[in-house]
Amino acid sequence: MDIKIPDKWLREYLETKATPQKLAECLSLCGESVEKIEKIGNETVYDIEITTNRVDSASVLGIAREASAILPRFKIPAKFTQPMTHAKQRTFSSVNYLKTNIDHNLCFRFSAILIKNIKIATSPLDIQNKLIESGARPINNIVDISNYIMFLFGQPIHTFDYDKIKGAKMHLRASRKGEELTTLDGKKHKLPGGDIVIEDVDGRLIDLAGIMGGLNSAVDENTKNVLLFVQTYNPVNIRRTSMALAARSQASILFEKGLDTELVDPALRYGIDMFVNLTKGTPADEILDIYPDPYKVKAVKTNLEFINERLGISLTKDQISKSLVPLGFYPRWSGKNISVEIPSYRRDVEIPEDIVEEVARIYGYRNLPDTPLSGVVPIPINDSPFIFEEKVKDFLSGWGGVEVYTQSLVPKELAGPEALKLKNPLGKEAEYLRTSLMLSLEKAARENSGVTEPFHLFEIANVYLPRRGDLPVELMTLAGVFVNDSYENAKGIIEALLEKLNIDYKFVPEDSKGFLPSQRLSIKTGQTEIGQFGVLESGLIYYEFPIESLQKASKEQRSFVPIPNFPSQIEDITLSFPAKTYLGDVIEKMKSADKLISEVKLVDKFKDFFTFRIWYQHPTKTLTDREVEKIRNRLVETIKRQFGGFLKD
Amino acid sequence: MKEEISNIKNEAIAQIMEADSATELEEISIAYLGRNGKLTNLIKRLKEVPPEERKENGILLNEAKSTIQSFLATQKGKLSVTARKWFDPTVPGAKPPIGHLHLVTQGIRQISRIFENLGYVRVRYPEVEWDWYAFEALNMPKGHPARDMWETFFVDGATDPKLGQTVLTPHTSNGQVREMQRIHSTGSGLPPIRMINIAKCYRRQSDASHVPMFHQFEGLVIDKGISVAHLKGTLDAFAKEFFGPERRTRLRPYHFQFTEPSFEVDVTCGICLGKGCKVCKGGWLELGGAGMVHPAVLKNGGIAPNKYTGFAFGWGVERVVMMKSCLEIPDIRLLYSSDLRFLRQF
Repeated sequence: MDIKIPDKWLREYLETKATPQKLAECLSLCGESVEKIEKIGNETVYDIEITTNRVDSASVLGIAREASAILPRFKIPAKFTQPMTHAKQRTFSSVNYLKTNIDHNLCFRFSAILIKNIKIATSPLDIQNKLIESGARPINNIVDISNYIMFLFGQPIHTFDYDKIKGAKMHLRASRKGEELTTLDGKKHKLPGGDIVIEDVDGRLIDLAGIMGGLNSAVDENTKNVLLFVQTYNPVNIRRTSMALAARSQASILFEKGLDTELVDPALRYGIDMFVNLTKGTPADEILDIYPDPYKVKAVKTNLEFINERLGISLTKDQISKSLVPLGFYPRWSGKNISVEIPSYRRDVEIPEDIVEEVARIYGYRNLPDTPLSGVVPIPINDSPFIFEEKVKDFLSGWGGVEVYTQSLVPKELAGPEALKLKNPLGKEAEYLRTSLMLSLEKAARENSGVTEPFHLFEIANVYLPRRGDLPVELMTLAGVFVNDSYENAKGIIEALLEKLNIDYKFVPEDSKGFLPSQRLSIKTGQTEIGQFGVLESGLIYYEFPIESLQKASKEQRSFVPIPNFPSQIEDITLSFPAKTYLGDVIEKMKSADKLISEVKLVDKFKDFFTFRIWYQHPTKTLTDREVEKIRNRLVETIKRQFGGFLKD
Repeated sequence: MKEEISNIKNEAIAQIMEADSATELEEISIAYLGRNGKLTNLIKRLKEVPPEERKENGILLNEAKSTIQSFLATQKGKLSVTARKWFDPTVPGAKPPIGHLHLVTQGIRQISRIFENLGYVRVRYPEVEWDWYAFEALNMPKGHPARDMWETFFVDGATDPKLGQTVLTPHTSNGQVREMQRIHSTGSGLPPIRMINIAKCYRRQSDASHVPMFHQFEGLVIDKGISVAHLKGTLDAFAKEFFGPERRTRLRPYHFQFTEPSFEVDVTCGICLGKGCKVCKGGWLELGGAGMVHPAVLKNGGIAPNKYTGFAFGWGVERVVMMKSCLEIPDIRLLYSSDLRFLRQF
């Protein structure tokens, strides 16, 4: 929650010589974060972020109180003064002018007062300016009083047109599902049920409590008598209603954080004063105040050792007390044990750790030492994928690949089959959790359609495979796409990658979805597919490996093969084959034709002729020409029998 | 043979001295040192020389060869530029294709390296997560206003009676309780924990400084006697190593439901080093949140809060990368475009 606090208004309750800049800096270091200081008209205004636990500081008075505790720690004197009120009415749990029936689980404190014969007018300029600087638009004195008190105290208040409350009776209850109510902004709401509403004698709903008043009980230009209304509501109900109806008023944002019930009385009395001054109205002699369970002082217990251990420093009892007292806490020591009484407005402080925080922020985090960790280091995880992934990325980028990070949230047409859908997507273009990287990478390639030279994009990212009744499997996947490049170049990169990862793989032509028929290879180790490579229907060359499969197939080290003591015989032979012969199979066959053939490579091709370089290697001697000839003949014979290939003469 | 060597050498030198073109020198080189050159032929005949003279002749042959080579080189240098053999050393190199690792990958590597050196164990926990790990276990019950800070995507997926609905995790803090649970299944089943969890996170936001998909790194340390001072020491060490030794950090109070106390961490601006300048407005840049692990979170992870304490922090990878390099990328969404003109810059 962000609030705006005008400097001049703040200084009505905070006496200090601190400049706005210094005040903002000190407050940010020890309390609330001042996001910026701005000028609105001639006035300096602080933009302050209030965290959800500190609704007590979401007001001019709240900030003044914090600043008065913080500034002296920077050797800047500061004094906080509570606002003065003149209204001296006594409080009663029942009054003549309003009969009530209240569900106390919904409303912890219910107070109100009738003010008669008010005159609607514009507010004095000073009040108008303060409202503008705080971010509200001045309307008339009645509305302005509500906003003024809300900004000053952090307590929302409401004003009913008293004469519109039929029977001068209020029934505060939980709504039933489907009940309808029009709020004073003219919006008609169908209630989800369990909302806090107020019903009058005619059975009309006249207030969506804590969120916005009802139109049928709203103050208008003919209003004579008003009911000034200050409550503490159950934060859970307020939040549920405001979220369900998307009705996020400043009042509901305050109420849903859980307000201090002790704030009701001073806010109401300040309101009476303002009504007297600004509307010339006459308040009733009795304040209605229904407060069945008043705040009882709580104490949080801890000890010196606990506080110092959490902070990593040795504070004295006195230093601890001096941090707590200015914030309104009341510490009592008994030996090394401390019992800290919590003021009503600091109900967020519940456990010893909360005391540690209050001590530390006022003592100053800047005054704590920077201590390096010591102690035992945890055991690392075996087979962690991170180094492996780094290696893969290094190889691919080393061979010219460009890494991309594409969105895992994609439109339906890029999601792949059976993808999980978001319930509240930002838009159709990011509605599904993808089950494949293929379509994302094709899109990435298309985004570079102006590029004419070859390029290679790759990514390692999760795909999300749904499971019934469980979270999806998040499958970390390597995928890439080659554009404007030859099949051989692309395949070479994949072969090189598999070799560098020490994977014993084989390519098996197998069709699959998305790829052109007969243009896809399944990449296998043994019988297990570890990935795929081929030409997509779009014409792009694509590959994909689940990282886990790749890592499992990858050996850290190859085993050592002794370096031969004798030179190998190397010769080129040129063969021709019938149409539609897989060269991959031919080379595999050649390599396995004789155990003395140590390597076969395709070195040249011209029309139907393919030149292979053959390495003949005997482990313990140099092969003679005759011996090589024998092996060659056997090789050519095998190739002829298997593929119908023949030697070029 | 000695005489022959000497004669051939002198003859070669004489010819070299007279040569006045690169071609001529090339021819001389071939005539003496080529495969059938005069000196080469002499070397071939060395095996006919009686063994006792072989060594001496060998030395002489080598000396002759290097003398001829040296004279050839010197004479080449003496030739006028036009007479030299043309060579263009400025011809552009034939570069291999140059690849690129994404900025986010580079950032993740630097971050993991720093923490791994401090004994942290890198992990990765789910992106698609149960509500319980993302919120409830972190002391944020259903309907708690603190949840508003994380604009959460909900997934039309499984609902578990205990763990709640499926969400996209809005922060890497979902890894905190998961890591505590993992520890129970290892070794002693007890802390120490030093975790660095780097993963994708998602929030319902999209503008020039926010992207719905981004990366966070989450540190979690749990041990006996871990204090705020340890957190300060660790974050300061990270900032000095990642951003530079002249940088400093500071803590400001903040609130998270799953840490107590909670902090915002700032680092001094890299341009003004904390003095305040046009870029940083005040000398400090916001790094992200941190805090001491809330006892309720320790309990949810099955760790006794009266024995162990810990700290945690979770920051944006993109954010620290951009802060480190002072990259003035006007729109953070550009990081996730596939435009080669962008990707090839890094």
